[in-house]
Amino acid sequence: MVSRPPTEDELVERARRGDGAAFGTLIREHQEIAFRTAFLIARNAADAEEAAQSGFMKAFGALPRFRHGAPLRPWLLAIVANEARNRRRSAWRREQLAQRAATELPSGDAAPSPEGSVLAAEQRATLLAALETLRDEERLVLSCRYLLDLSEEETAATLRIRRGTVKSRTSRALERLRAELGEEA
Amino acid sequence: MSSLELRLARLREAIVFPETPDLAGRFEPGPGSRSRPRRLRPLVLGLAVVLAVAAATLTLSPGARSAFLEVLRLRGATIERVEELPDVPTTGLLPLGERVSRAQAERSVGFALLDVGEPDAVYVRRGGPGGKVATLVYGDPARPRLVLTEFRGAIFDGFLKKTAAGGTRIEPVRVRGERGLFISGDAHFVMFLDASGRIADEPTYLAGNTLLWNRGPLLLRLEGRLSRAEALELARAAR
Repeated sequence: MVSRPPTEDELVERARRGDGAAFGTLIREHQEIAFRTAFLIARNAADAEEAAQSGFMKAFGALPRFRHGAPLRPWLLAIVANEARNRRRSAWRREQLAQRAATELPSGDAAPSPEGSVLAAEQRATLLAALETLRDEERLVLSCRYLLDLSEEETAATLRIRRGTVKSRTSRALERLRAELGEEA
Repeated sequence: MSSLELRLARLREAIVFPETPDLAGRFEPGPGSRSRPRRLRPLVLGLAVVLAVAAATLTLSPGARSAFLEVLRLRGATIERVEELPDVPTTGLLPLGERVSRAQAERSVGFALLDVGEPDAVYVRRGGPGGKVATLVYGDPARPRLVLTEFRGAIFDGFLKKTAAGGTRIEPVRVRGERGLFISGDAHFVMFLDASGRIADEPTYLAGNTLLWNRGPLLLRLEGRLSRAEALELARAAR
């Protein structure tokens, strides 16, 4: 007889009782999105790693206060994001996404022509560069929603704002981004 | 979804994020270990607060000194943010090298780093005695409060020299049974015997006092606005 894998709720319950392996299993499920969230906030891989590890450790200690049955991911992201905010360094330490786009981004199209690849890469680099010009709060809300594909609820938890604020801030940030790109709504 | 939102969503697939480190593995027990995850090392914030409190208590009475030492031994305890150590003026010589994660630094220098609390930043640079130097920075890297430098080498006090005329005091000390030197006063350069027997010199980073000590094949240097007693207590607790 093959036993089914434990559910998230069961793993949370085991982790609450101090089972590090159960917590490790939960972390494995969410570590990539948590690390990327931390990276977009701290803008530095070393800071992001420290933020994610510290956040997970704090989450482990705070599990007894975690509301039973609530989704784990937004709760974890909120803790990790808070750690990342505390580790933000001065601007010169931050990695520029635009630079990464210009030099490293592969084409997202299937087998594009060389000219098409160059054009697509340039358009992405332009879009990322425009994103970088936004205020932090606007850049982060768009990053959460579109670059990390977080839901409104997860974005709200990560940025510690209301869900309604996520909507209004996203709308405003998109307007600014269009203006930066010289496009009309 | 608008055209702009679609382009942002497509950007998601094209972004090159740094590789996600294996964070889950740090919680999962190894063979023969207990299931509780490893404790994080005490945060440097706690250390800074302890030292700030210590600096205040040391001026009060001899009895307060033992209280301070007791606190240091308990530095793993949670300490709330109440105040911080003052920034220490730098010597203007801050070639800290490339900022890396602790794991990357350990791979680069080839030994496990010792620390006196969780550092705020870790750097590795080429050169210096032993070929690679790791530096743990506590506080803002632009205005560190404490700097711990580690490399393979040995104290060679015959070549200890100071760059300023007078004002530098050098005292031999013992740290866990091994040799050490506490250097206070003016800025100085220190010359070392590196792992291959060559003599090399190293600038100091901070204008505070310096404790040099050997731990096995390693040479460690702790810089900051520390008294001899404070520096020795930190060095003995380094792990």
